Amino acid sequence: MAGKLFHVDVVTPEDIIWSGAAQMVSARTTEGDIGILADHEPTMAALATGPVQITDADDEVTTIGIHGGFLQIYANTVTLLTDRAETTEGGREEALRLAEELKAAEQRAVEASEAG
Amino acid sequence: MASAEVRQIRRRIKSVESTMKITRAMELIATSRIAKARVRVAENQPYTNKMNEVIRNLGAGTGSISHPLLESRPVKTAGIVVVSSDRGLAGGYNSSVIRMAEHRILDLREHGTDMRLYTVGEKAKAYFAYRNFEIEHAWLGVTDTPGYGDARMIGNALLEEYETERVDSFEVFTTRYVSALTQKPVQWQVLPIEPPPSDDGGEASVAYTFEPSAEAILARLLPRYLEGTIFGMLLEASASEHAARRRAMKAATENAEELVRLLTREANQARQAEITTEISEIVGGAEALAGG
Repeated sequence: MAGKLFHVDVVTPEDIIWSGAAQMVSARTTEGDIGILADHEPTMAALATGPVQITDADDEVTTIGIHGGFLQIYANTVTLLTDRAETTEGGREEALRLAEELKAAEQRAVEASEAG
Repeated sequence: MASAEVRQIRRRIKSVESTMKITRAMELIATSRIAKARVRVAENQPYTNKMNEVIRNLGAGTGSISHPLLESRPVKTAGIVVVSSDRGLAGGYNSSVIRMAEHRILDLREHGTDMRLYTVGEKAKAYFAYRNFEIEHAWLGVTDTPGYGDARMIGNALLEEYETERVDSFEVFTTRYVSALTQKPVQWQVLPIEPPPSDDGGEASVAYTFEPSAEAILARLLPRYLEGTIFGMLLEASASEHAARRRAMKAATENAEELVRLLTREANQARQAEITTEISEIVGGAEALAGG
């Protein structure tokens, strides 16, 4: 039996990664892991490098590796704004590895632009 | 058997036709590129909207927002960023945005304000370099299909100039995609950041919990906002470039068609004149023989 649902958007500048109704979202903020259920208080948080997991209405879990960004919870709408995100079939470990990869890719890009 | 004149005209027709093939191909390519660029503009929209919403809410949740990037200071040195294309053959696309920026530069010079110039795209770089302007930084290979990484690169560079107080404000001259037929050069102030206007006061009283603090979030958010803004501009500029090129190439193709029509008529006339001459020569010759 599905719990109470709320709306979740995961957006990057180039794409909407995930959008729909969910039962639960877990994410890694700079302050630590956070689990979100429906009717969460309004919150704004900075996202760290790590996995995000979304449990949708059919108990399906989507795992996304995310590097940086922001999390906004307002009126049962959760918005994750992130520069870099990628969904994965693997579990949290895989997502974390993916997120670290995104971070490394960004660092390389920064170094390249500074060198250039 | 064609005479020199007819041969020459035929050669011209061939050359115009091969040019026409190129312009038509470029027109078709540009058409498909516009569609792609428009899609990317549309895909960027949700992010921009959400980002604006977060900044508005952040302002509402903390009363007023203050951050160095939001404070304007007396402008001793103005930064001018000109977004152009890397390639030409795009009608007035580059010249109109460059002209607008140059106006502003002359204006600043008149008021005795120092100016630092930054260019995106080969065309703006070439234009200003030729006129002996000092270019602080030129980004190339960005405008055809801009990526978010490009926007970040530019954003970081501008931020650094702003934070070290080498430049006190940044204006970007770029092109807005109004419609397939209209692209307008525009001037945007990007630094100091002007927070997006709050369209409704409905969400004003929400008390957010901030993790970490509101200031810390703002400090992380504003650079992203700047990048997002620049990314949006690059995407629009790219759509505009392709639209301008499509229009220019369409016009070129039509002109070529017209030219081929005119030349064909000319060739026919020349050929006819030649036949007439030949016939009268033959008739003249025959009469001379008969008479002799």
